[in-house]
Amino acid sequence: MGNENPAEKALNLIRGRLCDPTFVFRPLSASSDSNYSKLKFIVSTSVTEGCNNSILLLGPRGSGKAAVLDLVVGDLMEEYPDSVTLISLNGLLHSEDNCAFKEIARQLCMEHHLLFSKMASFDENSQFIIAMLRECGLAHKTIIFVLDEFDMFAQASYSRGKQRLLYSLLDAMQSVTSQAVVVGISSRLDADQLLEKRVRSRFSHRKILFLPPSREEIDSLLEHLLSLPADSSFPSGYVSQFNEKIKNITSDTRFKDMLKTFLNANSTVNSLLKFIFRAVSSMNLESGLLSLENFKTALSSMQRQPKLEAVRADCSILELYLLVCMRRLEVKEQSSYNFISVMKEYKTIHDSFQTSDFYAQNVCLRAFEHLREREVICYAENRGQSQAGEYRSMKLLISASELHQGMRSHACCPAILLKLLDH
Amino acid sequence: MPTIAGSEKSEEVSLLSEDTISTPKKLKSRQRIAVSNLRTPDKEVKQDSHENLAVDSLSDCLGSESRDEDQMRAVKEALHVSKAPSTIVCREDEHRRVFEFVKGCLDQQKAGSLYICGCPGTGKSLSIEKVVKQVGDWSKQACLPPVDTLSVNCTSLTKTADIFSKILEIVEPVKEDNCYSSPLHRLQSLFSQKQDSSSRMMLIIADEMDFLITKDRGVLHDLFMLTIFPFSTCILIGVANAIDLADRFLPKLKSLNCKPMVITFPAYSKDQILRILQERLMVLPYVAFQSNALELCARKVAAASGDMRKALSVCRSAIEILEIDIRGSPGPESQGPTPDNPVVRMDHMAAALSKTFKSPVVDTIQTLPQHQQIIICSAAKAFRGSKKDATIGELNKLYLEICKSRVISPAGITEFTNMCTVLNDQGILKFGQARGNKLKRVSLRVDESDITFALQGVRFFRNCLL
Repeated sequence: MGNENPAEKALNLIRGRLCDPTFVFRPLSASSDSNYSKLKFIVSTSVTEGCNNSILLLGPRGSGKAAVLDLVVGDLMEEYPDSVTLISLNGLLHSEDNCAFKEIARQLCMEHHLLFSKMASFDENSQFIIAMLRECGLAHKTIIFVLDEFDMFAQASYSRGKQRLLYSLLDAMQSVTSQAVVVGISSRLDADQLLEKRVRSRFSHRKILFLPPSREEIDSLLEHLLSLPADSSFPSGYVSQFNEKIKNITSDTRFKDMLKTFLNANSTVNSLLKFIFRAVSSMNLESGLLSLENFKTALSSMQRQPKLEAVRADCSILELYLLVCMRRLEVKEQSSYNFISVMKEYKTIHDSFQTSDFYAQNVCLRAFEHLREREVICYAENRGQSQAGEYRSMKLLISASELHQGMRSHACCPAILLKLLDH
Repeated sequence: MPTIAGSEKSEEVSLLSEDTISTPKKLKSRQRIAVSNLRTPDKEVKQDSHENLAVDSLSDCLGSESRDEDQMRAVKEALHVSKAPSTIVCREDEHRRVFEFVKGCLDQQKAGSLYICGCPGTGKSLSIEKVVKQVGDWSKQACLPPVDTLSVNCTSLTKTADIFSKILEIVEPVKEDNCYSSPLHRLQSLFSQKQDSSSRMMLIIADEMDFLITKDRGVLHDLFMLTIFPFSTCILIGVANAIDLADRFLPKLKSLNCKPMVITFPAYSKDQILRILQERLMVLPYVAFQSNALELCARKVAAASGDMRKALSVCRSAIEILEIDIRGSPGPESQGPTPDNPVVRMDHMAAALSKTFKSPVVDTIQTLPQHQQIIICSAAKAFRGSKKDATIGELNKLYLEICKSRVISPAGITEFTNMCTVLNDQGILKFGQARGNKLKRVSLRVDESDITFALQGVRFFRNCLL
């Protein structure tokens, strides 16, 4: 009781919001220029005026294409109940023509409460679909075909490049008797170049591009997601405190820098949601407020470099020596090297710099094996299994900069090693 | 209002609960196809819109808006691809030639074959439909026996040989007992014997004929050979896109000296497109497009492909932009220069054209996150010369060089590979096949000039790509 409950409730509320695409994309529907309104305009004119249309949604994965489409379809189903039928296909599952026609027939049967027989042949399915399209056209009901992974439909190899499903659907758009919309979703920007010229001619070339959100949109999105509502279920002092803290964090320059570093690598809405989710999940339940540290931990957990951590946390000094020797051999343009040549280099270093860490060969071999288990190094090729491990050629699986960084942040790396690496 | 909506609903419910079964011949499945001849009334919808006008005439703004909407709707309908005009313009010559051919065959009661080719969107199927109608009218006038027509779109055939069974259904509606021979053999035997004089001519139209091309080209060949038999009664018209289909796939016909006649439908020129658009818009009592906007559209589409569907789609897109314009600025602005007659101007048409013809690549590259843009730059630099692909490891080295030279902290190898995968998904890079992750070969799918154009605004990338 006491302070725990509001914090937990707030956490649950925010996490629920982040996982619900409808909530996330709802504020975008307010502006008249957004993708939501463009899509809604096109689909709703088809529903109200009965003209057919085809449209393509393009954008990188996780930019909210399917979410916005769901929003639009949901809104239309509320506004015009009984006038909209939704048929969804996925290019990963239904790219073969037989499969696709069967699935369309099955979904049509389900929507209109008819009996579907699995034994129906391809001919019967296609006749049924044509008849249904005509009937729905006469009854002024619009069918919305959603083709997810649209480029898969265009690239199906079994149909010998003939794209029969796309042709039949888009051809149906050209006739007066049917009332339908075909919406394709794809992450490939040149999806319409993959279409055959017949199919491309029937496609109406409308494309909606889903670009990453701008700075203002991100700021408003953050506020929308993280501010608690002035609900009666939360103690009012807590709500204002929480929202005040959020405002402080988002206007902090350190937070802005952090956000900029994050967005420089990955700018889709989905990755931003994941970032915020991690930050919110590490909220301190005692204080019940978010802090800058939460976001910092989230950022570092999303930008992990596993091999660097292997070097920094796990490697002993001897192993570091071996890695530096391998790197030096690489720099000297020795394209393939094995354990024996690494040992030679190790001995040369010891001779020239009189280091204190000089170990016998069998100890070094064990260190080598350890490195290989951690997958920091590996055998260069899979042949020559019969040879002893010492004579097989090896290669590094970690880049020079990662090695450098790992060594610099290592707890007790000797300075001479860094000098040897830089050389 | 409520009564109209109520009756609409009840009619729709009854539409779906009828279970009269329409029986196509081989209906073995238990799908019940609800067929009824009830049309949910068009008049209901129209009454609705009239009601709208009546209710909204109270305020001028709303009144003009719904009038606008009706206008827009009518214009869009006039420009929809599915609305075939009653007379076909700019195809008179080809239309005449096809009609003469069919007439000639019918006059002499001889079989013949014709091949029609042309790019998509040049009016082939449309002309054929008109010819069929014209032939029907003419044969009635000339008191000839009526002509059977079979119109098949070859994409709807499961097996290519099905076309012969379809032809057989029309030639011989009553099946005889010897159904052991295949439809093709039956047809061949029928056409080799003299039939009674009451046999009718048959017009076969095979749309998208290249779907009939099989590996051994047997079906296409047999189909054309059907017209060569001495007592054949079919006039075959094949439609496809390839100009040299007859030459490439039917060499034997040339040796038998019965190559089909070829009529090519050329792509539309700018004047033809302009004329067709004007014809379509003539049915409307008001001017919807400025003439220079129409000309811009015709010019651009004719230069690109000469495809009529594209021109219609661009015009409809321009109307939609106009609609959004009007809708987005209600109130005083709609009572400005043209309150009653919104017209599509050059800027609307230019916006519609750029939406249709511009590739989204440039926009996307401009909005990519910075590291992905650096990756694209390094790929562009690497693949300038003769080298067209590299492994991920090599690309990573270049990426690190660029980052180091501009003092940006680079992303690690895992994140680098992830970013390359994202770019591959979007169709900017292309991955080859390889077992290991680092050994995958990467090549660029986008033109370097596009990349330079997209990134020219940022000095960093401009210097990078020098």
